[in-house]
Amino acid sequence: MKTLVIKELRKHFGKTWALKNLNIELDPGEIFVLLGPNGAGKTTTLKLIAGLFHPTHGDIYIKGINLAEEPLKAKRLTGYIPDEPFIYNKLTGREFINFIAGIYDINKDQYESRMDALLGKLDIGKWIDDFSETYSHGMKQKVIMCQLFLHNPDLILIDEPLVGLDPKSSKSVREIFLELKAQGKTLFICTHTLSFAKEIASKIGIINKGELKFIGALSELSEISGKKDIEQIYLKLSEEPLPEQKV
Amino acid sequence: MRDFRIIFITRIRIIAKSILSMHALELLSFVFVIGCFLFGSYYVFFRIFKYLMTVEAIGFALMDRIIEMAFFIFFTMLLFSNVITSFSTFYNNKEVDFLFSLPIQPTSIYLGKLFENCIYASWATMVLALPLITAYGITTHAPVFYYPMSIVSILIYLIIPGTVASLLVFAIFRLSPKLSSRDVIILSVLLIIGLTYLYVKTNNPALLKVFETDNEQELLRFATNLTTVGGTYVPSTWLSNILKGLSGRANLGFFYFALLLFISLSMTIIAFFAAKVLYAKSWILINEHGTKRKQRKSLLHTYKYNQSQTLFFKDLLVFIREPIQWIQLSVFIILLVVYIISLKRTPLYFTFPLWRTIVSFLNFTFVTFVLATLGVRFIFPGMSLERAGIWFICSSSLSLSKVMKIKYCTNVIIAVVILESLLILSNLFIKTDPQMYVLMPVIALFIAASLVSINLGLGARFPQFDETNPSRIAAGSGGIVAALASIGYVGISIIILATPAYHYIISKYYSRPVNHLMILIPLIVFLVLNTITIVFPLRMGLKSLEQRDF
Repeated sequence: MKTLVIKELRKHFGKTWALKNLNIELDPGEIFVLLGPNGAGKTTTLKLIAGLFHPTHGDIYIKGINLAEEPLKAKRLTGYIPDEPFIYNKLTGREFINFIAGIYDINKDQYESRMDALLGKLDIGKWIDDFSETYSHGMKQKVIMCQLFLHNPDLILIDEPLVGLDPKSSKSVREIFLELKAQGKTLFICTHTLSFAKEIASKIGIINKGELKFIGALSELSEISGKKDIEQIYLKLSEEPLPEQKV
Repeated sequence: MRDFRIIFITRIRIIAKSILSMHALELLSFVFVIGCFLFGSYYVFFRIFKYLMTVEAIGFALMDRIIEMAFFIFFTMLLFSNVITSFSTFYNNKEVDFLFSLPIQPTSIYLGKLFENCIYASWATMVLALPLITAYGITTHAPVFYYPMSIVSILIYLIIPGTVASLLVFAIFRLSPKLSSRDVIILSVLLIIGLTYLYVKTNNPALLKVFETDNEQELLRFATNLTTVGGTYVPSTWLSNILKGLSGRANLGFFYFALLLFISLSMTIIAFFAAKVLYAKSWILINEHGTKRKQRKSLLHTYKYNQSQTLFFKDLLVFIREPIQWIQLSVFIILLVVYIISLKRTPLYFTFPLWRTIVSFLNFTFVTFVLATLGVRFIFPGMSLERAGIWFICSSSLSLSKVMKIKYCTNVIIAVVILESLLILSNLFIKTDPQMYVLMPVIALFIAASLVSINLGLGARFPQFDETNPSRIAAGSGGIVAALASIGYVGISIIILATPAYHYIISKYYSRPVNHLMILIPLIVFLVLNTITIVFPLRMGLKSLEQRDF
C-alpha cells in the first residue's frame, strides 16, 4: 500500500494560490525531497499533509486513510518536524520528550529502550535537563527529532532538517534518515540544501509558484534537463518549465 | 529623535494594520461590545453620582472620594502591570534583539518601547476611566473643555507609572545582573507593595482603619476630610484635583495640571537619561547571563502519565515556572486574603438577618466579579500560550476537542476551589442566613463553569499565538471582549438571581406568603442562561480553532 497519496491538492490564501493541483504518490521506504525557491509552496505542502492547514480542494491519503475524514487515525501514522522548532521555554528537553510520549501514549516498556538509544544517537544527554529557553536552534531541532523515534510513524515530514545543525549532527541526521528508510519508513523532506537532496533522495520533486514542475528520480531529471549538476537542473526547472515535463 | 520617530511610526502602523486586518464583522462586534461596556458603566457611575448629589452635606465628598479612590487604585494597578509587562517589552523580545543590532541609539529604542509598554499596560484602565470621568463631568455640569482636557490629563498621568516601572526594572537589573527575570519581577512587585503600604500607612492611616462613631458632627467632619485618599504627593490626587478644577468645583485645577505635566515630563527625562546609561548595558548583561539551570526532578521528568495527565502537568509546569503568571496570581490571592481577613475583623453593625442576607448577596456579587477578572487574566490566555507549540498538538493524534475538554475541566476545578473557598469563608464571617449559606455555593458552581467556558472559548476564538506574555494576551482586543462578556454574564446573572433572593427575604423576614413562581422562573432562566454560556463559547472556540490554518 502507498504510504502517501496526494490527489489534486490545491490551497489558496485569500486571492493567492499557494498550491495548484498537486499530485504525489510515495511508497514505503522512499525518501522524497521537495525542492523549490522561497515561497514556492514547500512548507504549505508539508503543513497540509501534517493536518496544520486545510486544503481548498483535493485529498490526502496516508496508508489509505483519508486525512480529512479520519484526521486522528491518519495523524497517528505521521511525524512532523517544522522548520522553526518550538519547545515550551519552561520545559526541559527531557520533559518535552516525555510530553510527546504522553500525548502519543507510547508503550512504557518500549519507551525506556528508545530513550536510551536516542540520547546516544543524537548526542543530547549532556543538556537534556536544561530549560529549553537556553537551547540553540540545532539543539531544539534534535529534541524535536526524538518524536520520530518515540512514536515510530510510517510517514515522516521534515521541513529544512539541516538548518542550525553542526556538521557532526548533520552527518548523524543523514545516517538516521537512511536508517529509517531501511526500516521501510517514508520520508517527505523539504529543503534548499541541494547536496543533501542529491545524497539522500530516492525521489525528487521541484516546485515553483505552487506548481510541481517535476517529480521522479534524480537520474530521470538529468536525462530530461540535459544537465548533470543538480544545482543547474534546479535553477533551470525552478525558473522555466521543461517541454517534456512529467507532471 | 529620528530613530525614535521611525520606531514610533512603525509601531503605529503595525497597530493600525492589525486593526484594519480584522474582519469587518469581528471589528463591528468588538466596537459593539466595547460600546455596550462604555455605555453600561457610564450609566452605573452616572446613577451613583446622581444619587450622591442628592445626599446632603457629604454627597460631594463621597463622590470625590470615589474618583480619588478609583485613580489611586488605577495608579497602583498600573505600576504592577507596567512592571510585569516591562521585562518582555524591554528585554525578552525578538524585536528588541533586532533593534539593538541596528545603528540606533538605545534611548530611541527605549522611548519606542516605553510607548508600547504604556499602551499595553494601560489601555484597559482607559476603558474604565472614560465612563467614570464622563459620568462625573455630566453630573457636575462640567463645561465642554472638561472632556478633552481630562482625557489629555489621564494620558499624561499614564506616563508616570510607565517610567517608574521601567526605571525600577533597569535599576535592579543593573545592580544585580545575575538575577533572573523572575527575581527582578518579584523584587519589583515586592518593592511596589512595600512602598505603597508604607506610604499609605504613614500618609493616610485613616484608609487602613474602620471609622466608628455615633456622633453625626464627627461623621460629617470625617466625610468632608476624605478627599485625600492617596495623599498630597500621589499623582492620583493631582488628577482628581484636575477633574474637580475642570468641572468648576475647585480653583487649583490648572496648578495640578501643570504639576502633573511637569512631573510626567521630568520622569520621562530622568528615565531617558537612565536608559542612556543603563538600558543597553543591562540588556547585554541579561543576554550574557543565560539561565542554565538543570531540572532533575519534576512531574514530567519521567514518563508515567496518560494523555490527559500529561497535558495537565505540562500546563501546570509551564504556569508555575512562568514568574509573570504566579506573581500576578499571588498578588490576587493576597488581596483576597486581605478581603477575607477584613471581613473577619470588621465589626458587623447589621445584626438584623435581613441586612446580613443583603450583605452576603453583595459579597456574592463581589466574589463572582473577582472570579470573572481571574478568568480573563489566567484562563483566557490558556490556548494562546500553546503558542508555536500548537503545531505539535495539531499534527499529533490528540484532538483539539480533547485539548479543550482537558483545559476546561482543570480550569473549572481550580475556579470552583477558589470561588467556593471565598464564598464559604466570607459567608462564615458575615454570619449569613443558613439557607443562603447552602444555596450560594451551589449557584457558584454554575457561575464557575460558565466563566471558564466564556474565557477559554473566547481565548480559542481570539488566540494570539505570537505573544509570549500572558498579561499582554489578556490585555489584547480578545481579552477585552472576554472581560466584557464575563462582566456582562455576571451582571445578568446577579440581576436574575436578585429576584428570587428578594422574594425569599420578603417571605422569610416579613412573614409574607412565598411566591414560588417568582423564585422558580428566575432560577429556570438562570439555568437556561448557564446552559448557553457553558456550551456556546466552548463550541465557538473549538470550531474556530478547527477551521484555522496553523
